[in-house]
Amino acid sequence: MVNTIKLNTGASVKDYNKVSDWLSFETPDKILISSGKVDIGQHISTTLALISSRELEVDINSITVKKLNTDETPNEGITASSLSVPNSGTAIRSASIIFKKSFLDYASKSLNLNKNNLKLDNGVVKDPDSNASMSYWDFSKTDEFLKLTIPENIEIFDQTNIDHDLHVETKFINSIVKGEYKFLHDLKFDDMLHARIIRPPSYSHKFLSIDDKVNKYLSDHNLEIYIKNSFVAVLGVDEYEVIKSLNLLKNSIKWEQINKLAKDEIFNLIDQNEKDSLLVKRGGEAFNENIPDLKTYDNNHKTITTEFNKPYLMHGSIGPSASCSIYKNGKFEIYSHSQAIYALKSILSNAFNLEENYITLHFMPGAGCYGHNGADDVTYEAALLSKEFENKHVLLKWTREDENCWEPYGSASKNKLSATLDENNRIIYWSSEAYSDTYLTRPMVGKLENFVSYRFLNNDFKKYKASPRTGAHMGIHRNLDPIYNFKETRLVKNLVHDLPLRTSALRTLGAFANTTATETFMDELSIEVNIDPFEFRINHLDDDRAIDLLNDLKTQMDKDKPLDDSYRGIAFSRYKNSASYCAVGVELIVTDNVEVELKRAWITVDAGEIAFKEGIEAQVEGGFIQAASWSLYEQVNFDNNEILSKDWDNYKIIEFDNIPSIKTSVINRVGYPYLGVGEAVAGPTGASISNAIRRALGERIKTMPFNQESIKKQLLG
Amino acid sequence: MVDGLQGNLIMSKSEYNITVNGETKSVVITEDKPLLYVIRDDFNLTGTKLGCGLEQCGSCAVLVDGNKVLSCNRPAVEFVDKEITTIEGIAKNDVLNEIQQSFKKFNAAQCGYCTSGIIVSLTDLFNKKKSPDRKEIIDNLSGQLCRCGSHASVLKAVNNLIEKRKMNG
Repeated sequence: MVNTIKLNTGASVKDYNKVSDWLSFETPDKILISSGKVDIGQHISTTLALISSRELEVDINSITVKKLNTDETPNEGITASSLSVPNSGTAIRSASIIFKKSFLDYASKSLNLNKNNLKLDNGVVKDPDSNASMSYWDFSKTDEFLKLTIPENIEIFDQTNIDHDLHVETKFINSIVKGEYKFLHDLKFDDMLHARIIRPPSYSHKFLSIDDKVNKYLSDHNLEIYIKNSFVAVLGVDEYEVIKSLNLLKNSIKWEQINKLAKDEIFNLIDQNEKDSLLVKRGGEAFNENIPDLKTYDNNHKTITTEFNKPYLMHGSIGPSASCSIYKNGKFEIYSHSQAIYALKSILSNAFNLEENYITLHFMPGAGCYGHNGADDVTYEAALLSKEFENKHVLLKWTREDENCWEPYGSASKNKLSATLDENNRIIYWSSEAYSDTYLTRPMVGKLENFVSYRFLNNDFKKYKASPRTGAHMGIHRNLDPIYNFKETRLVKNLVHDLPLRTSALRTLGAFANTTATETFMDELSIEVNIDPFEFRINHLDDDRAIDLLNDLKTQMDKDKPLDDSYRGIAFSRYKNSASYCAVGVELIVTDNVEVELKRAWITVDAGEIAFKEGIEAQVEGGFIQAASWSLYEQVNFDNNEILSKDWDNYKIIEFDNIPSIKTSVINRVGYPYLGVGEAVAGPTGASISNAIRRALGERIKTMPFNQESIKKQLLG
Repeated sequence: MVDGLQGNLIMSKSEYNITVNGETKSVVITEDKPLLYVIRDDFNLTGTKLGCGLEQCGSCAVLVDGNKVLSCNRPAVEFVDKEITTIEGIAKNDVLNEIQQSFKKFNAAQCGYCTSGIIVSLTDLFNKKKSPDRKEIIDNLSGQLCRCGSHASVLKAVNNLIEKRKMNG
């Protein structure tokens, strides 16, 4: 039986409510779908094409996703926060449903056939008697098509008959495996200049002078230098000559250090520095209200406290950030791999005092970015240089050291928790405080200082103070509000000022630390009261989907007999308490030499109705591996003068030797809204690894990374 | 790398014959120009990627006489008279090699920036070993970094290839 379900057509349709905003049929047999979400390796292009192909009943290979540029594709804001499928996917699904329905009505009238007898075959209906036919492409040429709008709610047919286990080849995999997939880094123009920035030793080094002797070297090698205050760049036609000059130029410049980078160890600074403290209420919003004191209970109640520390983490893209720009006839044409090309258009208009319609940004792939990395900075820098070297394309690439030292990191953070249990082993009081620098320094109109080069271009070395964000699950307090039904909570967000390193949005923002803190503490409490960790969590849950998720994970894990000498840990969360549900189990061994070897992992995810199962699996398995890397290996090191994690030897990430076998179970909720899935797995991963290590060592390791050196240090106290 | 202003800074260019994917070109380069830039600039083959320039990430892996070599730092002049194969030359007559086919079957890439290097590296291994064991696979992939976390799908593709080879005898 086919059921109809009411579907809210979503946020993106509010601004783009015409079907023709999302679908076009210019080429015979081909359908072009438009989206404002950029494909950064999360397979959004494949997912959107698949969604549309199902509704239009055409082969996925007949659907192409339009290349993004700020003049032609819908502005759906930043590609972030696990909103691509919920927003763009829902819009394209709605547009496809309305298109097909309207087409069938139109074809029925035009061909004078009963609508119920029409058979759709790859976008074509035929009158069997007269052989007259009508196609999607015919219909798209009519005024009726251009008039089609998408309402706020539509009826959809449920899709219980879809076989989500059928393999779907992702859109770019064929060109990727052949080495033919073009990244921004591969752009070539006849008139092109390659560029690199000569970076000072730290954020607050002022340019004093450059040795005159470099001029001869530069002219001998056909290189040009651009200096504005403390911003220095070198440009030339031959990329390798540009790269070769970097050390020479670096050693020829005298800098003056204005401020020391760090005055103390980071977790001491988090404790000591000035903060803005806000009260977070159930529902996840933050309020500038008095913070109640921590409650104390009598001896009949068990009260336990803990803390969790996370160091600075880097996005660490494998391909350094790059951008290409040309300024010609008063107009910018810019290629960028930023997640925020639409916002950049306005920001660059602000930066260069130029009307927006003189700026076009084209999205071109870079390597995976995982949030606000160097992509925006390099776009601004390339635009700036192209304005100075008019009529030439300037392709600016960051070096590995640039990427590692100048991107905005995910902040170091601290969580302090306390919980009180009643005589029935139920948590009656839960206090959770998060301490961190900001997760939001994306460039904005009026906030050009958020570009890393702004300070050097303007010799402006003051530290700009961030303001705490208050919306539900923003930045530092993302997932601070636990999903559990605790009787009373005390939730506090602390934005810590004057911390040493530049920070911004890294995948999940504060949710990785907050979920890890919550879920390791839940595990600690379950150990304290000697209750099975699944049962202890379920005892504190009202949400049926969360309970189903945990039961599914338990079933998956119980199927596999534990390996000798191994320990298991579990954890779960619902990202932002509104996106996907994700539960993770890990099995690991802690060797005699205190090294953590991951053996197996089980992931259960509920992302609403499945749009693209392999895409969901890739996102959660990839997210698991990245978060395992954060948990076990990663930490940005720095001293008083500079960042020390300049390359991969000095910033260790996970490799193939510690990848567990992973089994992923995807729960399909037919008729439920699509939920974003890119970030749901990170927090549960960190917590499940910590929980397994706790069971292996009999002691909680409270500071990441959980590597040999750090664990040994913490065990020795 | 040039570290100071002293010494002879202007490096003269000379002509060298370099062979990539069966095509020999006479390239005029300085003797320090790394192979990667010759492949990308002079042969216009951009599938081989620059990730670090420090031989730490594996994105620039190519085959030289069938053996994996990281191309981002070693001068091209070392490879005169050698057969260099890049990711673009691994498929023969437009037929993907077994590893490429298996990667396709398992969608074993996310952003794809590291994928060329990983496929090249595995091609070296699978050309030499019919059924490599786990240690050999891990050793082969040591230094091939991926940040998106495509490792699990890469390992599935590799295991599938081993199974396929076993079935085919």
